[in-house]
Amino acid sequence: MHGRPRKAYKPEEEAASAAKAAKLRALQSQFMANHHNKIYTKEAVDLSTKLLEINPEAYTAWNYRKLAVEDKLSRIESDPDLVKTILDEELRVVESALKQNFKSYGAWHHRKWVLSKGHSSVGNELRLLDQFQKLDTRNFHAWNYRRFVVELTKRSEQDELEYTDDMIGSDFSNYSAWHNRSVLLSSLLTRKADGFLPNKKIPDEYKLVQNAIFTDEDDQSGWFYHLWLLDQTVNVETPLLTSSWPLHGSRINLSAGCSNGSFSKLTTFGSESGSFPLVLYFDQAVCGVSSSTVTIDSELKGNEDLVWEPVSKKNSQVSCVWVARLKYISSEPCFGKEYKVKVRVGNSPGIVSSRGCNFSASYEFVFTAHVHDTVEESSQDGIVSWKDGFDIWDAESKDLNALATLDRSNAQMDSKWRQEAIAEEIDLFRELPDSKIGKLTLARLLMAKAMISDDAVKGVHYNEILELCKDLMALDSSHYQYYKDEHSVALLRKVTSSTEDLSGHLFRCRNMNNSVCLRLNNLSLSRIASVEKLLFVQMLDLSHNELHSTEGLEAMQLLSCLNLSHNRIRSFSALDSLRHLKQLRVLDVSHNHIGEHSVDTTRYLCSSPLSNSEWPQDEVGSQMPSLVTKYWDAYFVLRDLNLKQLDITGNVIAGDEFSSFVLQVVPKLVWLDGKKLEI
Amino acid sequence: MEELPSITVSQREQFLVENDVFGMYSYFDTSDIATQKFMVEIQRDKQLDYLMNGLRQLGPSFSSLDANRPWVCYWIIHSIALLGESVDDDLENNAIDFLGRCQGSDGGYGGGPGQLPHLATSYAAVNTLVTLGGEKAFSSINREQMACFLRRMKDTNGGFRMHNMGEIDVRACYTAISIASILNIVDDELTRGLGDYILSCQTYEGGIGGEPGSEAHGGYTYCGLATMILINEVDRLNLDSLMNWVVHRQGVELGFQGRTNKLVDGCYTFWQAAPCVLLQRFFSSQDIAPHGSSSHMSQGTDEDHEEHGHDEDDPEDSDEDDSDEDSDENSGNGHQVHHTSTYIDRRIQPVFDSLGLQRYVLLCSQVADGGFRDKLRKPRDFYHTCYCLSGLSVAQHAWSKDEDTPPLTRDILGGYANHLEPVHLLHNVVMDRYNEAIEFFHREA
Repeated sequence: MHGRPRKAYKPEEEAASAAKAAKLRALQSQFMANHHNKIYTKEAVDLSTKLLEINPEAYTAWNYRKLAVEDKLSRIESDPDLVKTILDEELRVVESALKQNFKSYGAWHHRKWVLSKGHSSVGNELRLLDQFQKLDTRNFHAWNYRRFVVELTKRSEQDELEYTDDMIGSDFSNYSAWHNRSVLLSSLLTRKADGFLPNKKIPDEYKLVQNAIFTDEDDQSGWFYHLWLLDQTVNVETPLLTSSWPLHGSRINLSAGCSNGSFSKLTTFGSESGSFPLVLYFDQAVCGVSSSTVTIDSELKGNEDLVWEPVSKKNSQVSCVWVARLKYISSEPCFGKEYKVKVRVGNSPGIVSSRGCNFSASYEFVFTAHVHDTVEESSQDGIVSWKDGFDIWDAESKDLNALATLDRSNAQMDSKWRQEAIAEEIDLFRELPDSKIGKLTLARLLMAKAMISDDAVKGVHYNEILELCKDLMALDSSHYQYYKDEHSVALLRKVTSSTEDLSGHLFRCRNMNNSVCLRLNNLSLSRIASVEKLLFVQMLDLSHNELHSTEGLEAMQLLSCLNLSHNRIRSFSALDSLRHLKQLRVLDVSHNHIGEHSVDTTRYLCSSPLSNSEWPQDEVGSQMPSLVTKYWDAYFVLRDLNLKQLDITGNVIAGDEFSSFVLQVVPKLVWLDGKKLEI
Repeated sequence: MEELPSITVSQREQFLVENDVFGMYSYFDTSDIATQKFMVEIQRDKQLDYLMNGLRQLGPSFSSLDANRPWVCYWIIHSIALLGESVDDDLENNAIDFLGRCQGSDGGYGGGPGQLPHLATSYAAVNTLVTLGGEKAFSSINREQMACFLRRMKDTNGGFRMHNMGEIDVRACYTAISIASILNIVDDELTRGLGDYILSCQTYEGGIGGEPGSEAHGGYTYCGLATMILINEVDRLNLDSLMNWVVHRQGVELGFQGRTNKLVDGCYTFWQAAPCVLLQRFFSSQDIAPHGSSSHMSQGTDEDHEEHGHDEDDPEDSDEDDSDEDSDENSGNGHQVHHTSTYIDRRIQPVFDSLGLQRYVLLCSQVADGGFRDKLRKPRDFYHTCYCLSGLSVAQHAWSKDEDTPPLTRDILGGYANHLEPVHLLHNVVMDRYNEAIEFFHREA
């Protein structure tokens, strides 16, 4: 989109320039006539040459030449010399056009088109490229063309890597060269080319980039390459299963009918539907989770063809979180029994990451489901309080380990060289303490280290990361919110990093069948993270934070009570992810900012949902169209929730009108703002 | 590669630019208040003169843009609209007639009459007509033929070609989807595989390149992100790394650069600031797609951390001290102070330094005689004028959570006299004009 730099015109140049424009216009109209009449004579083609030499951006003329070339080629009987002459002329025209404007899309594209006709000499193209790349080392057209030529002529990636050596050697600020290096190395490492093993190559690359960074720490090129290296050190491309619910070796209690009464200290789960969620959490978004890629071996009847659903926005078949609902109440009485369930993930291929990598490490886990017969009269309608009736967590840590995936190190990764490389970098970057980017990189290195080290040292790392984030907030105030979010993520990682840390936040709720309650209130959280370690949580207290959205909570399929009071939620749309929580019955969003402003959709996209012709003609929608129109964001979220208790007080939206609207949309609601509803 | 030279060409260039920019800043800082006020003021009259003259006679120096004339129309007419002005009926009719002659019989607009239809110039033509507004402008667009043209440009790899036999890249994808979205002609055929294509252009840095394998670039990042939002697949991108990349493109001069380690350039004020604001609003609130057909996002529900010095809730109240506001001070200590009114609760702390950005544009990109430029010592042109002004508007409204919340005086460097019309972040047309057009094209359907 960026036009080439244009020179300023001095008055005396104006005349010459006007003459040039007049000449161009004459050329152009003659050319247009030729083009529309499909005249491909030598004179006509020469005219287009002239036009393009003056104005390389005349894309219509490039197309005309393509047609003219096709026309000529169709007349000669594959005489290789003639073909060469015709195509060489095209290459010459492109070259002189590029000298006029080396950012011309049309010219570069025309050259690619000529080359793909099969007439090319690598030597020639690389010579031309060298010329352009010396003039402008960052010209992305030239770099793109270089990658195109390399691929077309099968030039070796090792040779190209050497070229980036030279470019970086003569100018280490040339980020385009660093970028191409990362592209080439990725490919060489992925296909395990000779001498390109990550444990050998990546440490060498760290040394190379250190040179650049420590020569001038303000130069950005090295920093971003460093970020890529860290990514290569920590992440593996193939998707992995990070956690699941239930976990391997765990025992879950299932109650028939409504959940009530007291059982063991482990998770007790009850549902009206007689099924429980089976949750798979991957480290990256995947598609293809189905009853053929995940097999279930269990004595529980009726689970042969499980339906797996991605827990993601509508229409997306890609998600980190997948859920299936296993039935445990069948027609035959089966209470008081134990059932083993064996789950095999990735047994047959088909689970693929959004980047196209296959889930290859098949994984198997077994858990025991204990079904109780506890159908009682319902005392379910009691109000749930967040204040009273909580016991501190008294379970053994082994019980906790059975609930949460606290430390699942990636056994698939050969981690020794990774740990060494990161440890070395950390030592090095501690010497660059005062620069903004030095601190940020150090925080990221520590985060990486914490991810692959033992429990004992993790806490220390997280404390240091939190300090670094605070320093950064003060040091670089223009990115305050960015560091604030990083701080929240680090804090949640810390809380979930060890049994001791986590159990300090865990409670049992007596009135709620000893449900597991996690309290993360008053932590100034602005973002949610580490949810994969919290899949067992049934009650979650996030009150008195700075959250503006519930994004991430959709994975917590066991969640039945959620306290979001005193946060910064601004609209019901920000609660959208809760629609995936089928067990959610109690929701406290009091004292937020809902309704201070109507949700504005037009600012972002085509139309407000209300102008959409597919506006729902369901029962509530037709009964009170004006209220649905007014509270459409609340409508879309609430109608999909099955709430019994809702607290909305302390928001602008709250009031009699909204209350009556809520009653229509959520007919099963029993408690609204602490008052029992008269039915 | 043992010995690296002590200073590279890019470092020397960067040094020279910093020298210019900080020279300008220190001149500004040591000037008296009246001079400062003048320096940060948008010279509306001069700007309008420059733009109107440009529209009346595309000067001889624009010969190279003969394949780009709808773009020149868009750059100028959109700039005029940002300044809150309109062109007179004659100019408006001329522009509509001219664009009508650029419209091909098989749909789409070329770079001039008789030229091949091209996606980028079609985008420029549609945005120009939307900005002009009114029945005549809207109905001059042949929607059915445009839909056919877009379908012809669709490639089997999911992306779009710029024109028949032309290059496939992220620009083409964005311009196609932006057009289709405004004209209300998006369908499955157009969006099929498009998300996959854009995804393949996101680099490890987080930004988006022009084609698979390319280096991340501000213009393409905007195009890729806006496309993904428009087709409701934005959550497929790595948004964390995208945010990381884009916020770090704001350098020490506080203007934006287009790529890692490139020089600051005024036009990236729009290309980089708009993704910052879009991402921030996306992170703060995820909206829902009502029926999977049309997607949209809501504005942010974020909260601000900045309350500084004086409290000033009345946006109409002009502030005498605005001209020398130092952005670092403004955003730095803010989080310690608590909000005092609901008005302030509708505000959001931008992830980039908005006032610093405005200072760069006004002091280094604005030409006192009209027009904006890349940086000091460079000539002005309509492209930079359009994207500097668009970016200024984005920066001024970066604190506001929605269109009903006007910016405070202190959000706008130079005070309310500098206020520009808010733009639709996904199409870069003035909000009011967009709303009028959308209503028309939804009625048409």
